[in-house]
Amino acid sequence: MPLDIDALYRQAQDMVRDLPEAGENPQLAEAQRYLCRADPQLLRQKLLARERATAKIPWLVAPPPLFDSYTVVAADGSPIPPDRHSPVRYFVVNFGHVELTYGARPHAEIASELRLSYTEEDLYFDPQDKRIPIEGTRLGIHMSVGEMVALRGAARDVQLPAVALRDGSLILWQLQSRDEDPDLCAAYLERFLSALEDLRQQDIPVASYVSYPGSHDVANSLRLLLCDYPDGCRRCPQATDGQRLCRFIGTLVDRQLYQGLLSPGERSDVFESQSAILSQYGAHRVRFFYLDVGGEIARVEAPLWVMEDPEMRDAVHSIVYDQCQRSAQYPPYPAVLIEAHEAAVISTGGRQVVEEMMARLLASKGYPYLRSAKDHSKRSRGV
Amino acid sequence: MAESGQARIGEIVETESTRFVAESFELHRPPALGQLVYAPGDDDTCLYGVVCYGTTASPDPGRRAVRRSTEEVFDQAVYEEHPQLELMLRTEFAARLVGYVDATRVHHYLPPQPPALHYSVYACEIDQVARFTERLTYLRSLLELPEIAPEQLLAAHIREVYRLRGEDRDWLSRAAREVAGLLKNDYERLMTVLYGIEP
Repeated sequence: MPLDIDALYRQAQDMVRDLPEAGENPQLAEAQRYLCRADPQLLRQKLLARERATAKIPWLVAPPPLFDSYTVVAADGSPIPPDRHSPVRYFVVNFGHVELTYGARPHAEIASELRLSYTEEDLYFDPQDKRIPIEGTRLGIHMSVGEMVALRGAARDVQLPAVALRDGSLILWQLQSRDEDPDLCAAYLERFLSALEDLRQQDIPVASYVSYPGSHDVANSLRLLLCDYPDGCRRCPQATDGQRLCRFIGTLVDRQLYQGLLSPGERSDVFESQSAILSQYGAHRVRFFYLDVGGEIARVEAPLWVMEDPEMRDAVHSIVYDQCQRSAQYPPYPAVLIEAHEAAVISTGGRQVVEEMMARLLASKGYPYLRSAKDHSKRSRGV
Repeated sequence: MAESGQARIGEIVETESTRFVAESFELHRPPALGQLVYAPGDDDTCLYGVVCYGTTASPDPGRRAVRRSTEEVFDQAVYEEHPQLELMLRTEFAARLVGYVDATRVHHYLPPQPPALHYSVYACEIDQVARFTERLTYLRSLLELPEIAPEQLLAAHIREVYRLRGEDRDWLSRAAREVAGLLKNDYERLMTVLYGIEP
Protein backbone atom coordinates (compact mmCIF):
# COMPACT_ATOMS: atom_id res chain seq x y z
CA MET A 1 0.00 0.00 0.00
CA PRO A 2 1.49 3.38 -0.90
CA LEU A 3 2.51 5.75 1.89
CA ASP A 4 0.03 8.50 2.70
CA ILE A 5 2.44 11.29 1.86
CA ASP A 6 -0.30 13.92 1.99
CA ALA A 7 -0.97 13.17 5.66
CA LEU A 8 2.75 13.20 6.43
CA TYR A 9 3.13 16.53 4.61
CA ARG A 10 0.44 18.15 6.77
CA GLN A 11 2.16 16.91 9.94
CA ALA A 12 5.54 18.05 8.67
CA GLN A 13 4.11 21.51 8.01
CA ASP A 14 2.98 21.64 11.65
CA MET A 15 6.43 20.55 12.77
CA VAL A 16 8.23 23.20 10.75
CA ARG A 17 5.76 25.91 11.80
CA ASP A 18 6.68 25.33 15.45
CA LEU A 19 10.42 25.54 14.83
CA PRO A 20 12.24 28.80 15.64
CA GLU A 21 13.82 30.62 12.71
CA ALA A 22 17.29 29.25 11.95
CA GLY A 23 20.27 31.56 12.11
CA GLU A 24 21.33 33.86 14.92
CA ASN A 25 20.45 32.50 18.31
CA PRO A 26 21.07 34.94 21.17
CA GLN A 27 20.64 32.21 23.80
CA LEU A 28 23.24 30.00 22.11
CA ALA A 29 25.68 32.92 21.98
CA GLU A 30 25.07 33.49 25.68
CA ALA A 31 25.68 29.79 26.40
CA GLN A 32 28.94 29.91 24.44
CA ARG A 33 30.09 33.00 26.32
CA TYR A 34 29.35 31.18 29.54
CA LEU A 35 31.34 28.17 28.33
CA CYS A 36 34.33 30.43 27.59
CA ARG A 37 34.41 32.03 31.02
CA ALA A 38 33.48 28.96 33.04
CA ASP A 39 35.66 28.52 36.12
CA PRO A 40 37.26 25.05 36.12
CA GLN A 41 37.99 25.18 39.85
CA LEU A 42 34.43 25.99 40.75
CA LEU A 43 33.18 23.21 38.50
CA ARG A 44 35.64 20.78 40.04
CA GLN A 45 34.31 21.64 43.49
CA LYS A 46 30.73 21.18 42.37
CA LEU A 47 31.55 17.91 40.66
CA LEU A 48 33.39 16.58 43.68
CA ALA A 49 30.50 17.62 45.89
CA ARG A 50 28.35 15.37 43.73
CA GLU A 51 31.03 12.65 43.86
CA ARG A 52 31.54 12.72 40.15
CA ALA A 53 34.78 12.58 38.27
CA THR A 54 36.69 15.66 37.21
CA ALA A 55 36.17 17.59 34.01
CA LYS A 56 37.83 20.62 32.55
CA ILE A 57 36.31 23.66 30.94
CA PRO A 58 36.86 25.24 28.30
CA TRP A 59 40.17 26.17 26.64
CA LEU A 60 40.65 25.98 22.91
CA VAL A 61 43.81 24.46 21.45
CA ALA A 62 45.17 25.21 17.99
CA PRO A 63 46.25 22.26 15.80
CA PRO A 64 49.81 21.13 16.59
CA PRO A 65 52.29 20.79 13.71
CA LEU A 66 51.81 17.67 11.61
CA PHE A 67 54.55 15.07 11.11
CA ASP A 68 56.33 15.04 7.75
CA SER A 69 55.57 11.33 7.54
CA TYR A 70 53.03 9.35 9.50
CA THR A 71 51.00 6.17 9.43
CA VAL A 72 47.37 5.79 10.39
CA VAL A 73 45.60 2.46 10.76
CA ALA A 74 41.91 1.74 11.15
CA ALA A 75 39.58 -1.23 11.43
CA ASP A 76 35.85 -1.58 10.98
CA GLY A 77 33.39 -4.45 10.95
CA SER A 78 30.13 -5.49 9.34
CA PRO A 79 27.96 -8.47 10.38
CA ILE A 80 25.41 -10.79 8.83
CA PRO A 81 23.45 -11.67 11.98
CA PRO A 82 22.05 -15.11 12.72
CA ASP A 83 19.05 -15.98 10.54
CA ARG A 84 16.34 -17.78 12.48
CA HIS A 85 15.16 -19.44 9.27
CA SER A 86 18.49 -21.11 8.69
CA PRO A 87 18.41 -24.83 9.49
CA VAL A 88 21.86 -24.41 11.04
CA ARG A 89 22.71 -21.42 13.18
CA TYR A 90 25.59 -19.22 12.05
CA PHE A 91 26.60 -15.59 11.66
CA VAL A 92 29.19 -13.87 9.55
CA VAL A 93 31.44 -10.93 10.38
CA ASN A 94 33.69 -9.08 7.97
CA PHE A 95 36.50 -7.00 9.46
CA GLY A 96 38.22 -4.51 7.19
CA HIS A 97 41.55 -2.99 8.11
CA VAL A 98 43.53 -0.26 6.47
CA GLU A 99 47.03 1.12 6.84
CA LEU A 100 47.89 4.42 5.16
CA THR A 101 51.37 5.95 5.24
CA TYR A 102 52.01 9.51 4.11
CA GLY A 103 55.19 11.43 3.47
CA ALA A 104 58.34 10.53 1.59
CA ARG A 105 57.25 6.94 0.92
CA PRO A 106 53.47 6.87 0.64
CA HIS A 107 51.96 3.45 0.97
CA ALA A 108 48.56 1.82 1.46
CA GLU A 109 47.35 -1.57 2.57
CA ILE A 110 43.68 -2.49 2.53
CA ALA A 111 42.47 -5.93 3.52
CA SER A 112 39.45 -7.66 4.95
CA GLU A 113 38.82 -10.87 6.79
CA LEU A 114 35.49 -12.65 6.47
CA ARG A 115 34.76 -15.00 9.36
CA LEU A 116 32.01 -17.57 9.64
CA SER A 117 30.97 -18.27 13.23
CA TYR A 118 29.20 -21.59 13.61
CA THR A 119 30.68 -23.58 16.48
CA GLU A 120 28.95 -23.70 19.85
CA GLU A 121 31.76 -21.58 21.28
CA ASP A 122 31.24 -19.01 18.50
CA LEU A 123 27.49 -18.83 18.80
CA TYR A 124 26.97 -18.90 22.55
CA PHE A 125 28.69 -17.43 25.53
CA ASP A 126 29.32 -20.25 28.00
CA PRO A 127 27.73 -22.87 25.70
CA GLN A 128 27.85 -25.65 28.29
CA ASP A 129 26.13 -23.82 31.11
CA LYS A 130 24.44 -20.45 30.52
CA ARG A 131 24.25 -20.79 26.76
CA ILE A 132 23.74 -17.07 26.07
CA PRO A 133 23.26 -16.54 22.31
CA ILE A 134 25.45 -13.96 20.55
CA GLU A 135 22.78 -11.93 18.79
CA GLY A 136 21.15 -8.50 18.89
CA THR A 137 22.94 -6.10 21.26
CA ARG A 138 25.41 -8.85 22.18
CA LEU A 139 26.42 -9.15 18.54
CA GLY A 140 27.03 -5.39 18.68
CA ILE A 141 29.35 -5.91 21.64
CA HIS A 142 31.00 -8.79 19.81
CA MET A 143 31.60 -6.50 16.81
CA SER A 144 32.96 -3.61 18.91
CA VAL A 145 35.45 -5.88 20.64
CA GLY A 146 36.31 -7.64 17.36
CA GLU A 147 37.01 -4.29 15.71
CA MET A 148 39.38 -3.33 18.51
CA VAL A 149 41.18 -6.67 18.19
CA ALA A 150 41.37 -6.13 14.40
CA LEU A 151 42.76 -2.65 15.02
CA ARG A 152 45.46 -4.12 17.23
CA GLY A 153 46.32 -6.56 14.44
CA ALA A 154 46.40 -3.78 11.82
CA ALA A 155 48.74 -1.72 14.01
CA ARG A 156 51.24 -4.53 14.47
CA ASP A 157 54.68 -3.59 13.08
CA VAL A 158 53.61 -0.20 11.73
CA GLN A 159 56.15 2.55 11.43
CA LEU A 160 55.99 5.31 14.04
CA PRO A 161 54.69 7.94 14.34
CA ALA A 162 51.35 6.29 13.96
CA VAL A 163 47.81 6.54 15.24
CA ALA A 164 45.28 3.71 15.46
CA LEU A 165 41.82 5.05 14.75
CA ARG A 166 38.38 3.54 14.90
CA ASP A 167 34.90 4.76 14.24
CA GLY A 168 32.44 5.37 17.07
CA SER A 169 33.03 5.42 20.77
CA LEU A 170 35.62 3.64 22.90
CA ILE A 171 33.00 3.39 25.62
CA LEU A 172 31.33 -0.02 25.60
CA TRP A 173 28.08 1.44 26.89
CA GLN A 174 26.22 -1.76 26.02
CA LEU A 175 28.05 -3.47 28.89
CA GLN A 176 26.37 -1.11 31.37
CA SER A 177 23.03 -2.84 30.99
CA ARG A 178 21.92 -4.49 34.20
CA ASP A 179 20.22 -7.17 32.15
CA GLU A 180 23.49 -8.40 30.68
CA ASP A 181 25.33 -11.33 32.16
CA PRO A 182 28.26 -10.09 34.32
CA ASP A 183 30.58 -12.90 33.21
CA LEU A 184 29.89 -12.12 29.55
CA CYS A 185 30.54 -8.42 30.19
CA ALA A 186 33.78 -9.20 32.00
CA ALA A 187 34.98 -11.49 29.23
CA TYR A 188 34.34 -8.99 26.44
CA LEU A 189 35.75 -6.10 28.45
CA GLU A 190 38.90 -8.09 29.18
CA ARG A 191 39.46 -8.71 25.44
CA PHE A 192 38.80 -5.07 24.64
CA LEU A 193 41.14 -3.70 27.30
CA SER A 194 43.78 -6.27 26.40
CA ALA A 195 43.84 -4.93 22.83
CA LEU A 196 44.13 -1.38 24.16
CA GLU A 197 46.96 -2.46 26.44
CA ASP A 198 48.84 -4.05 23.54
CA LEU A 199 48.61 -0.78 21.61
CA ARG A 200 49.87 1.04 24.67
CA GLN A 201 52.83 -1.33 24.92
CA GLN A 202 53.64 -0.54 21.29
CA ASP A 203 53.45 3.23 21.98
CA ILE A 204 50.74 3.61 19.36
CA PRO A 205 48.14 6.14 20.43
CA VAL A 206 44.64 4.84 19.85
CA ALA A 207 41.62 7.06 19.37
CA SER A 208 38.06 6.87 18.17
CA TYR A 209 36.14 9.33 16.05
CA VAL A 210 32.49 10.22 16.54
CA SER A 211 30.98 12.18 13.67
CA TYR A 212 28.06 14.49 14.49
CA PRO A 213 28.16 13.51 18.18
CA GLY A 214 24.98 13.69 20.19
CA SER A 215 26.55 13.67 23.66
CA HIS A 216 25.76 16.19 26.41
CA ASP A 217 28.80 15.82 28.72
CA VAL A 218 30.02 19.43 28.48
CA ALA A 219 26.50 20.86 28.40
CA ASN A 220 25.61 18.90 31.52
CA SER A 221 28.76 20.15 33.27
CA LEU A 222 27.84 23.73 32.41
CA ARG A 223 24.37 23.23 33.80
CA LEU A 224 25.88 21.91 37.00
CA LEU A 225 28.06 25.00 37.18
CA LEU A 226 25.09 27.28 36.57
CA CYS A 227 22.73 25.55 38.91
CA ASP A 228 21.67 27.60 41.92
CA TYR A 229 18.59 25.56 42.62
CA PRO A 230 19.72 22.16 43.89
CA ASP A 231 16.20 20.89 44.62
CA GLY A 232 15.76 19.55 41.13
CA CYS A 233 15.04 20.86 37.66
CA ARG A 234 11.37 19.96 37.82
CA ARG A 235 10.72 22.40 40.66
CA CYS A 236 13.14 25.07 39.39
CA PRO A 237 11.12 28.31 38.95
CA GLN A 238 13.37 29.51 36.09
CA ALA A 239 13.06 32.97 37.52
CA THR A 240 16.64 34.13 37.04
CA ASP A 241 18.72 34.58 33.89
CA GLY A 242 21.00 31.78 35.08
CA GLN A 243 18.10 29.39 35.56
CA ARG A 244 16.71 30.22 32.12
CA LEU A 245 20.16 29.78 30.55
CA CYS A 246 20.50 26.46 32.37
CA ARG A 247 17.21 25.28 30.92
CA PHE A 248 18.26 26.36 27.44
CA ILE A 249 21.63 24.57 27.69
CA GLY A 250 19.65 21.47 28.60
CA THR A 251 18.28 21.50 25.05
CA LEU A 252 21.77 21.60 23.50
CA VAL A 253 24.26 18.90 22.61
CA ASP A 254 27.97 19.58 23.04
CA ARG A 255 28.71 20.06 19.36
CA GLN A 256 26.28 22.98 19.25
CA LEU A 257 28.19 24.67 22.06
CA TYR A 258 31.41 24.44 20.06
CA GLN A 259 29.99 25.26 16.65
CA GLY A 260 31.44 28.64 15.74
CA LEU A 261 33.48 28.77 18.92
CA LEU A 262 36.23 26.58 17.50
CA SER A 263 38.01 27.37 14.24
CA PRO A 264 38.91 24.60 11.77
CA GLY A 265 41.69 22.51 13.27
CA GLU A 266 41.13 23.73 16.82
CA ARG A 267 40.08 21.40 19.58
CA SER A 268 38.47 21.91 22.94
CA ASP A 269 40.13 21.07 26.20
CA VAL A 270 40.17 17.42 27.22
CA PHE A 271 37.26 16.07 29.25
CA GLU A 272 36.67 12.85 31.07
CA SER A 273 33.58 10.87 30.33
CA GLN A 274 31.23 9.98 33.18
CA SER A 275 29.94 6.65 31.87
CA ALA A 276 29.65 4.09 34.65
CA ILE A 277 31.39 1.34 32.67
CA LEU A 278 34.60 3.42 32.64
CA SER A 279 35.18 2.63 36.31
CA GLN A 280 36.36 -0.76 35.02
CA TYR A 281 38.69 0.67 32.34
CA GLY A 282 41.64 1.35 34.69
CA ALA A 283 44.46 3.07 32.77
CA HIS A 284 42.27 3.06 29.69
CA ARG A 285 39.60 5.40 31.09
CA VAL A 286 38.22 7.36 28.19
CA ARG A 287 38.80 11.07 27.76
CA PHE A 288 37.67 13.13 24.83
CA PHE A 289 37.85 16.48 23.11
CA TYR A 290 35.80 18.18 20.45
CA LEU A 291 37.52 19.04 17.18
CA ASP A 292 36.40 21.38 14.44
CA VAL A 293 37.30 19.36 11.36
CA GLY A 294 36.17 22.10 8.99
CA GLY A 295 32.52 21.39 8.41
CA GLU A 296 31.40 19.77 11.63
CA ILE A 297 32.36 19.37 15.25
CA ALA A 298 33.60 15.81 15.85
CA ARG A 299 34.23 14.08 19.14
CA VAL A 300 37.61 12.36 19.48
CA GLU A 301 38.00 9.85 22.30
CA ALA A 302 41.20 8.29 23.57
CA PRO A 303 42.37 6.43 26.67
CA LEU A 304 43.87 8.28 29.60
CA TRP A 305 47.43 7.24 28.67
CA VAL A 306 47.04 8.93 25.30
CA MET A 307 45.37 12.10 26.51
CA GLU A 308 47.86 12.60 29.36
CA ASP A 309 50.88 12.27 27.08
CA PRO A 310 51.29 15.61 25.25
CA GLU A 311 53.07 14.02 22.28
CA MET A 312 50.45 11.32 21.81
CA ARG A 313 47.58 13.76 22.33
CA ASP A 314 49.07 16.15 19.76
CA ALA A 315 49.61 13.25 17.35
CA VAL A 316 45.94 12.28 17.62
CA HIS A 317 44.85 15.90 17.21
CA SER A 318 47.00 16.68 14.18
CA ILE A 319 46.60 13.33 12.42
CA VAL A 320 42.82 13.15 12.86
CA TYR A 321 42.50 16.69 11.52
CA ASP A 322 44.83 15.93 8.60
CA GLN A 323 42.86 12.76 7.83
CA CYS A 324 39.71 14.86 7.60
CA GLN A 325 41.42 17.26 5.18
CA ARG A 326 42.27 14.26 2.99
CA SER A 327 38.69 13.10 2.65
CA ALA A 328 37.13 14.09 -0.64
CA GLN A 329 33.80 14.98 0.93
CA TYR A 330 32.06 17.70 2.89
CA PRO A 331 31.60 17.62 5.81
CA PRO A 332 34.93 15.83 6.04
CA TYR A 333 35.47 12.43 7.63
CA PRO A 334 38.83 10.69 8.17
CA ALA A 335 40.02 9.09 4.94
CA VAL A 336 41.28 5.99 6.75
CA LEU A 337 37.86 5.40 8.32
CA ILE A 338 36.16 5.74 4.95
CA GLU A 339 38.41 3.04 3.54
CA ALA A 340 38.07 0.78 6.60
CA HIS A 341 34.30 1.00 6.27
CA GLU A 342 34.46 0.24 2.55
CA ALA A 343 36.71 -2.74 3.24
CA ALA A 344 34.34 -4.08 5.89
CA VAL A 345 30.89 -3.34 4.57
CA ILE A 346 28.87 -6.30 3.29
CA SER A 347 26.64 -5.03 0.51
CA THR A 348 23.10 -6.22 -0.13
CA GLY A 349 24.45 -8.20 -3.06
CA GLY A 350 27.18 -9.69 -0.86
CA ARG A 351 24.61 -10.75 1.70
CA GLN A 352 22.58 -12.49 -0.98
CA VAL A 353 25.67 -14.30 -2.25
CA VAL A 354 26.51 -15.50 1.27
CA GLU A 355 22.93 -16.60 1.94
CA GLU A 356 22.65 -18.45 -1.36
CA MET A 357 26.02 -20.14 -0.84
CA MET A 358 25.07 -21.26 2.67
CA ALA A 359 21.65 -22.46 1.47
CA ARG A 360 23.27 -24.49 -1.31
CA LEU A 361 25.88 -26.05 0.97
CA LEU A 362 23.32 -26.88 3.63
CA ALA A 363 20.91 -28.32 1.06
CA SER A 364 23.69 -30.61 -0.20
CA LYS A 365 23.66 -32.21 3.26
CA GLY A 366 19.86 -32.38 3.35
CA TYR A 367 19.21 -29.21 5.40
CA PRO A 368 16.74 -27.05 3.44
CA TYR A 369 16.00 -23.43 4.39
CA LEU A 370 12.37 -23.42 5.55
CA ARG A 371 11.22 -19.83 5.68
CA SER A 372 8.27 -18.66 7.73
CA ALA A 373 5.11 -17.85 5.81
CA LYS A 374 5.55 -14.21 6.78
CA ASP A 375 9.13 -14.07 5.49
CA HIS A 376 8.13 -15.93 2.33
CA SER A 377 5.35 -13.42 1.68
CA LYS A 378 7.86 -10.56 1.92
CA ARG A 379 10.24 -12.21 -0.51
CA SER A 380 7.68 -13.14 -3.14
CA ARG A 381 5.42 -10.13 -3.30
CA GLY A 382 2.48 -10.36 -5.68
CA VAL A 383 -0.70 -8.52 -6.47
CA MET B 1 50.24 -20.97 -26.40
CA ALA B 2 52.11 -18.34 -24.36
CA GLU B 3 55.83 -18.67 -24.52
CA SER B 4 57.63 -18.56 -21.21
CA GLY B 5 59.01 -15.13 -20.37
CA GLN B 6 56.41 -13.21 -22.34
CA ALA B 7 54.89 -10.28 -20.51
CA ARG B 8 51.47 -10.79 -19.03
CA ILE B 9 49.66 -7.47 -19.24
CA GLY B 10 46.27 -8.33 -17.82
CA GLU B 11 43.76 -10.88 -16.59
CA ILE B 12 40.47 -11.56 -18.34
CA VAL B 13 37.47 -10.45 -16.25
CA GLU B 14 34.75 -10.65 -18.93
CA THR B 15 34.71 -12.89 -21.95
CA GLU B 16 32.36 -13.57 -24.84
CA SER B 17 32.54 -14.85 -28.39
CA THR B 18 33.48 -11.54 -29.98
CA ARG B 19 35.51 -9.75 -27.32
CA PHE B 20 37.02 -9.89 -23.89
CA VAL B 21 37.71 -7.40 -21.10
CA ALA B 22 40.86 -7.65 -19.01
CA GLU B 23 42.10 -5.89 -15.91
CA SER B 24 45.44 -4.27 -16.65
CA PHE B 25 48.31 -5.03 -14.32
CA GLU B 26 49.44 -1.41 -14.63
CA LEU B 27 47.16 1.34 -13.33
CA HIS B 28 46.40 4.06 -15.92
CA ARG B 29 48.35 2.18 -18.60
CA PRO B 30 46.17 -0.18 -20.59
CA PRO B 31 47.81 -1.43 -23.78
CA ALA B 32 47.70 1.11 -26.62
CA LEU B 33 44.50 1.52 -28.58
CA GLY B 34 44.76 -0.73 -31.62
CA GLN B 35 47.50 -2.91 -30.13
CA LEU B 36 47.43 -6.60 -31.00
CA VAL B 37 47.20 -8.81 -27.90
CA TYR B 38 46.49 -12.47 -27.36
CA ALA B 39 45.10 -14.89 -24.80
CA PRO B 40 45.76 -18.61 -24.65
CA GLY B 41 42.97 -20.80 -26.03
CA ASP B 42 42.29 -24.54 -26.19
CA ASP B 43 44.82 -26.95 -27.70
CA ASP B 44 47.78 -24.60 -27.79
CA THR B 45 45.94 -21.96 -29.79
CA CYS B 46 46.45 -18.22 -29.32
CA LEU B 47 43.35 -16.05 -29.58
CA TYR B 48 44.21 -12.66 -31.04
CA GLY B 49 42.41 -9.42 -30.22
CA VAL B 50 42.79 -5.75 -31.07
CA VAL B 51 42.57 -3.41 -28.08
CA CYS B 52 39.48 -1.30 -28.71
CA TYR B 53 38.85 0.39 -25.38
CA GLY B 54 40.60 1.36 -22.15
CA THR B 55 39.27 2.80 -18.91
CA THR B 56 40.35 3.57 -15.36
CA ALA B 57 37.64 3.84 -12.71
CA SER B 58 36.49 2.54 -9.36
CA PRO B 59 35.29 -1.07 -9.64
CA ASP B 60 32.60 -0.27 -7.09
CA PRO B 61 29.59 1.19 -8.92
CA GLY B 62 28.57 2.96 -5.74
CA ARG B 63 31.85 4.85 -5.47
CA ARG B 64 32.56 7.26 -8.28
CA ALA B 65 35.87 9.08 -8.42
CA VAL B 66 35.63 12.56 -6.90
CA ARG B 67 37.88 15.58 -7.23
CA ARG B 68 40.87 15.42 -4.90
CA SER B 69 43.24 18.05 -6.29
CA THR B 70 43.94 21.40 -4.66
CA GLU B 71 45.96 24.38 -5.83
CA GLU B 72 49.09 22.81 -4.38
CA VAL B 73 48.34 19.11 -4.87
CA PHE B 74 47.48 17.88 -8.33
CA ASP B 75 48.27 15.18 -10.90
CA GLN B 76 50.77 12.62 -9.54
CA ALA B 77 50.89 14.38 -6.16
CA VAL B 78 47.21 13.45 -5.69
CA TYR B 79 48.26 9.79 -5.63
CA GLU B 80 51.07 10.48 -3.16
CA GLU B 81 48.69 12.32 -0.83
CA HIS B 82 46.04 9.59 -1.13
CA PRO B 83 48.00 6.33 -1.39
CA GLN B 84 44.84 4.24 -1.09
CA LEU B 85 43.79 5.35 -4.58
CA GLU B 86 46.22 2.87 -6.12
CA LEU B 87 44.20 0.10 -4.46
CA MET B 88 40.77 1.56 -5.15
CA LEU B 89 41.08 2.07 -8.90
CA ARG B 90 41.17 -0.43 -11.73
CA THR B 91 42.40 -0.04 -15.27
CA GLU B 92 40.60 -2.28 -17.75
CA PHE B 93 40.82 -2.73 -21.47
CA ALA B 94 38.62 -4.44 -24.01
CA ALA B 95 39.88 -6.32 -27.05
CA ARG B 96 37.91 -7.31 -30.12
CA LEU B 97 38.68 -10.89 -31.13
CA VAL B 98 39.98 -10.90 -34.72
CA GLY B 99 41.31 -14.41 -35.18
CA TYR B 100 43.46 -17.16 -33.76
CA VAL B 101 46.60 -19.07 -34.50
CA ASP B 102 46.92 -22.80 -34.07
CA ALA B 103 49.79 -25.18 -34.71
CA THR B 104 49.45 -24.92 -38.47
CA ARG B 105 48.09 -21.57 -39.56
CA VAL B 106 46.61 -18.14 -38.93
CA HIS B 107 42.81 -17.86 -38.98
CA HIS B 108 41.25 -14.47 -39.62
CA TYR B 109 37.85 -15.18 -38.15
CA LEU B 110 36.37 -15.61 -34.69
CA PRO B 111 37.73 -18.51 -32.67
CA PRO B 112 35.32 -21.36 -31.88
CA GLN B 113 35.55 -20.64 -28.14
CA PRO B 114 36.11 -17.37 -26.30
CA PRO B 115 39.16 -17.19 -24.04
CA ALA B 116 38.71 -18.44 -20.49
CA LEU B 117 37.80 -16.10 -17.68
CA HIS B 118 40.74 -15.20 -15.41
CA TYR B 119 43.28 -16.33 -18.00
CA SER B 120 46.16 -14.05 -18.86
CA VAL B 121 46.44 -11.56 -21.69
CA TYR B 122 49.82 -11.04 -23.36
CA ALA B 123 51.20 -8.34 -25.61
CA CYS B 124 52.11 -9.80 -29.01
CA GLU B 125 55.78 -10.00 -29.83
CA ILE B 126 56.97 -8.45 -33.09
CA ASP B 127 57.19 -11.79 -34.90
CA GLN B 128 53.63 -12.64 -33.82
CA VAL B 129 52.39 -9.27 -35.11
CA ALA B 130 54.24 -9.76 -38.40
CA ARG B 131 52.79 -13.22 -38.91
CA PHE B 132 49.20 -12.38 -37.96
CA THR B 133 49.05 -9.12 -39.98
CA GLU B 134 50.73 -10.48 -43.11
CA ARG B 135 47.29 -10.97 -44.61
CA LEU B 136 44.78 -8.19 -43.94
CA THR B 137 41.42 -9.92 -44.09
CA TYR B 138 41.01 -9.59 -40.32
CA LEU B 139 40.60 -5.80 -40.64
CA ARG B 140 36.94 -6.23 -41.58
CA SER B 141 36.33 -7.60 -38.06
CA LEU B 142 36.98 -4.09 -36.77
CA LEU B 143 34.16 -2.46 -38.73
CA GLU B 144 31.42 -3.09 -36.18
CA LEU B 145 32.23 -2.12 -32.63
CA PRO B 146 30.07 -0.84 -29.80
CA GLU B 147 32.93 0.82 -27.92
CA ILE B 148 34.52 3.12 -30.45
CA ALA B 149 34.10 4.52 -33.97
CA PRO B 150 35.55 1.75 -36.23
CA GLU B 151 37.52 4.18 -38.39
CA GLN B 152 39.34 5.44 -35.29
CA LEU B 153 40.24 1.90 -34.25
CA LEU B 154 41.31 0.92 -37.75
CA ALA B 155 43.61 3.94 -37.93
CA ALA B 156 45.05 3.30 -34.45
CA HIS B 157 45.63 -0.38 -35.21
CA ILE B 158 47.28 0.24 -38.58
CA ARG B 159 49.57 2.89 -37.05
CA GLU B 160 50.55 0.48 -34.26
CA VAL B 161 51.27 -2.43 -36.60
CA TYR B 162 53.15 -0.17 -39.02
CA ARG B 163 55.42 0.89 -36.18
CA LEU B 164 55.97 -2.67 -34.92
CA ARG B 165 56.70 -3.91 -38.44
CA GLY B 166 59.60 -1.49 -38.60
CA GLU B 167 57.71 1.19 -40.59
CA ASP B 168 56.96 -1.25 -43.39
CA ARG B 169 55.71 1.08 -46.20
CA ASP B 170 54.67 -1.83 -48.38
CA TRP B 171 52.45 -3.22 -45.63
CA LEU B 172 51.00 0.24 -44.98
CA SER B 173 50.05 0.59 -48.67
CA ARG B 174 48.40 -2.81 -48.63
CA ALA B 175 46.51 -1.93 -45.46
CA ALA B 176 45.32 1.36 -46.99
CA ARG B 177 44.06 -0.49 -50.07
CA GLU B 178 42.30 -3.05 -47.87
CA VAL B 179 40.56 -0.28 -45.93
CA ALA B 180 39.66 1.48 -49.19
CA GLY B 181 37.93 -1.70 -50.30
CA LEU B 182 36.10 -2.08 -46.99
CA LEU B 183 34.91 1.53 -46.90
CA LYS B 184 34.40 2.12 -50.61
CA ASN B 185 30.82 3.20 -49.98
CA ASP B 186 31.64 5.58 -47.14
CA TYR B 187 33.97 8.31 -48.28
CA GLU B 188 34.00 10.24 -44.98
CA ARG B 189 34.97 7.26 -42.86
CA LEU B 190 37.54 6.12 -45.41
CA MET B 191 39.21 9.55 -45.38
CA THR B 192 39.24 9.52 -41.56
CA VAL B 193 41.25 6.28 -41.67
CA LEU B 194 43.56 7.44 -44.46
CA TYR B 195 44.30 10.76 -42.72
CA GLY B 196 44.88 8.81 -39.52
CA ILE B 197 47.49 6.47 -40.97
CA GLU B 198 49.40 8.97 -43.07
CA PRO B 199 53.02 8.52 -41.96
